[in-house]
Amino acid sequence: MTDEQKSNPDLKQPTVYHIRVKGHLSQQWMDWFEGFAISREEDGNTLLTGAIADQAALHGILKKIRDLGMPLLSVNPIETSPHNTPDFKLDS
Amino acid sequence: MTIQFLSTKIYIPPPRPKIVARTGLFVQLNDALNRKLTLVSAPAGFGKTTLVSEWIATCERSAAWLSLDEGDNDPARFISYMIVALQTIKASIGKDLLASLQSHQPPPIEVVLTALLNEIAVIPNDFILVLDDYHLMDAKPVDDVLTFLIEHQPPHMHLVITTREDPSLSIPRLRARNQLTEIRAADLRFTSSEAAEFLNQVMGLDLTADEVTALETRTEGWIAGLQLAALSMKGQEDVHGFIQAFAGDHRYIVDYLVEEVLRLQPEPVRDFLLQTSILERMNGPLCDAVTAQTGSKSKLEQLQRGNLFLVPLDDKREWCRYHHLFADVLRMHLTTEQPNQVPVLHNRASEWYEQNGLTADAIRHALSAENFERAANLIERAVPEARRNRQETQLLGWLKAIPDETLQHRPVLSVNYAGTLLQTGQLDGVEKRLQQAERWLDKEIHERPIYVDKEEFQRLPSSVAMYRAAIALAQGDVANSINHARKVLELAHEDEDLSRGAASSLLGLAFWTNGDLETAYQMFADGMTHLQKVGFISDVIGGSITLADIRITQGRLREAMGIYERGLKLATKQGAPALRGAADMHVGMSGLYLERNELQTAEQYLLKSKELGELNGLPKNPYRWRVAMARLREVQGDLESALNLLDEAESLYMGDFSPNVHPISALKARVWIKQGKLEKALAWARERKLSVEEEPGYLREFEQITFVRILLSQCQNDHTDSLLHGAIGHLERLLKAAEESGRNGSAIEILVLQTLAYQMQEDIPAALSALDRALKLAEPEGYMRIFLDEGSSMAELIREANARGSAPNYTRRLLSAFEAERKGIGEETPLSASPASSSLIEPLSQRELDILRLFKTELSGPEIAQELVIALSTVRTHTKSIYSKLNVNSRRAAVKKAIELGLIQP
Repeated sequence: MTDEQKSNPDLKQPTVYHIRVKGHLSQQWMDWFEGFAISREEDGNTLLTGAIADQAALHGILKKIRDLGMPLLSVNPIETSPHNTPDFKLDS
Repeated sequence: MTIQFLSTKIYIPPPRPKIVARTGLFVQLNDALNRKLTLVSAPAGFGKTTLVSEWIATCERSAAWLSLDEGDNDPARFISYMIVALQTIKASIGKDLLASLQSHQPPPIEVVLTALLNEIAVIPNDFILVLDDYHLMDAKPVDDVLTFLIEHQPPHMHLVITTREDPSLSIPRLRARNQLTEIRAADLRFTSSEAAEFLNQVMGLDLTADEVTALETRTEGWIAGLQLAALSMKGQEDVHGFIQAFAGDHRYIVDYLVEEVLRLQPEPVRDFLLQTSILERMNGPLCDAVTAQTGSKSKLEQLQRGNLFLVPLDDKREWCRYHHLFADVLRMHLTTEQPNQVPVLHNRASEWYEQNGLTADAIRHALSAENFERAANLIERAVPEARRNRQETQLLGWLKAIPDETLQHRPVLSVNYAGTLLQTGQLDGVEKRLQQAERWLDKEIHERPIYVDKEEFQRLPSSVAMYRAAIALAQGDVANSINHARKVLELAHEDEDLSRGAASSLLGLAFWTNGDLETAYQMFADGMTHLQKVGFISDVIGGSITLADIRITQGRLREAMGIYERGLKLATKQGAPALRGAADMHVGMSGLYLERNELQTAEQYLLKSKELGELNGLPKNPYRWRVAMARLREVQGDLESALNLLDEAESLYMGDFSPNVHPISALKARVWIKQGKLEKALAWARERKLSVEEEPGYLREFEQITFVRILLSQCQNDHTDSLLHGAIGHLERLLKAAEESGRNGSAIEILVLQTLAYQMQEDIPAALSALDRALKLAEPEGYMRIFLDEGSSMAELIREANARGSAPNYTRRLLSAFEAERKGIGEETPLSASPASSSLIEPLSQRELDILRLFKTELSGPEIAQELVIALSTVRTHTKSIYSKLNVNSRRAAVKKAIELGLIQP
């Protein structure tokens, strides 16, 4: 693998994403959002955390959010290098 | 050949009796009519569809409506549905276009779009076209269609798009040009007063101003939220408490409210809602089947009355669907509460759709149920029709959804998978699927294959061989292609016309590639006979080009003309729209008229071909037309135009299974020779690695002859003996090869070049002997240009030949044509040279001769008029004149007399 490929979030390794939407979503939606962890934040928003295989899968999730009419606040990839473990614990 | 068009997709949702009047937005929408496009772009639940359909009901313009779904991502289907929608405004619109979109060889999308715009132009009044739910489109080709449409939109059309995301159009440019009106979430959300009107008047609640404000604040004017809130309050004992609890909660509004709504429903209604949420559209019987209960029709009516997010899909109150947002939430509840039920429900839906003949829906639900065996059975049964109707995109989508382990046991499906891939030009995966199918031909195998189509299974060996033959030919492996195609003919039954037809045509093409023209012709013609029997008319018309090309190479121009005439007749059957290929036949006939030196007729045929339009042309017609026109311009001496046309032709070139025996680059080299640009021509010859040492071979014959032309032209300039010697030797070998394989057409050209070469050598007896042979081959077929193109030195030799009495009539005709050309008249008037014409007091005009020739066919008067692009009355005038000049009084007598006089060929 070249360096270029390593830095490309679309290749091989799934990337963990944080997706923040407005409003509290119930846990029941977990299956709908393909196993994303659903955690409610105190300010009334919901944080969805999960591994996404590639850009197409990410857009698929975003489309589902769009179709529920939920306001989308932010989408962030989380570093997955071995030196930097994802902050699952904080959210789940 | 028709796709089932769902009328529910073009149904405009009717206005509802009680609704918040959105006067402000209506004013905006009405103003927008002066611009090209209205974009209603907002998230789910903002009332986009309702707004537009309510507005259309009040608007005086006629409107067409298309509710899009994922299936419309195929541009051909997208355009087809657009036409079907427009037909609600003007019924006659785009009928031919729809037919050609569903034909075997649909025209390129740009051609279809241009034709569609022409059809739209015919709509007499201003109109609106609504594309609802455009966010479901995510294929670039569909976006391209939309862009093209907007770019070329006629002023009497207004487009409205509703979508949850902005489409891939250049929105800033449309804004800058003031061609776009946007209605977005901020415009759509309910204001406080609209919220109050909705809750209190429409939904019949009795809320205080504070309560309304609380709800409006909580939902931020989101209409779906307010609607759900209203539904949740109906039947609440403590409305005030409910509002307070809701307002103080952070939960996703829909979650919160749907739970409330579901909680309020009696158990049977709740179950009904959840179970039917898997359906994209529903009616009573379908819901009965899915819920395994009765009385669904009245339940649906009850839901509709209760305002439970039901959208009617037709005016018979038969089909309806849930609002997408509501359906999503219901489905989520179904999957979490009754996960095991989901596949069961999909299976039931699949069965119902199957029983009701709606195969595509049956397959969709079987796939959703992950019942792949069932899906595979359904697909296998749907294959023949889907392939006939050119629905390969859909078919491939289904096949890709079937897991490999299921396909492993399904030889019929595998072989059809291979065929579909081949049909869509995806050669890569074909071999894998063929092997998957072929496994079952092994006698040693102990498993049992699964199939529903027994006949298709029995045809497996021949189907596999057939696809192998096609792949081999596409890859240039002629020997293997012949082997596989022969195997098909051995295996296929006498009555399997499709297999036999396809195999024979492939064999024909393979033999053509090998230069065995007579076998090629017989095989290909046989193939066409079979294909015609099974109704593959477009292929048969297209095949005329192949057959005529072979005959022309064999020097049998008259037969070639007959082939094109028959092809044209097939393409223009009376009372039906012209089929694709009609334009191609005109191009072919034009080339033959040109060789006869009937240049005006040749040009008329090209113009007629153009007039028929690209919709009536096969994919290779655009480049063939330019090649033919280039040849005409070349003969007329306009060499620059000829080169430009050939350049265009090169960029439009479309290869197929036929060998490319007249490469455009060689045609260009020939024009360069005429221009005296020998350097360019030589550079081409070097690039093509041509030399006089090369063995003659059919595939390179045209290029080899072109190369000799370059050499002769060089000799003329610098009189190099060795060069001339080499050229003469090469010609000798080329002639031998051509004669041995019966390529008389090539032989005539080679003999003409020999004549010129010997003349350069000042060996006149040898020149005249070669010319004599050429004349003998050429006379019966009416060749003219092959001699005329060589100019004065050829004229000199023909005069000599004429003086010595060889082919006296023919050489006399040639000489007078040379004379006319020299005087700049350009075209020989056939009658002045024809000895028979002397028996006519008044010679026939060119036009009258054209008509006489068509008299010989079975074309009717109106068809003749159409053929020659003249009015029927003109045909009648000419006919009268023909009768009087020939002194006859019937069509048959005219033909008989004309043949006797040698005016037309028997």
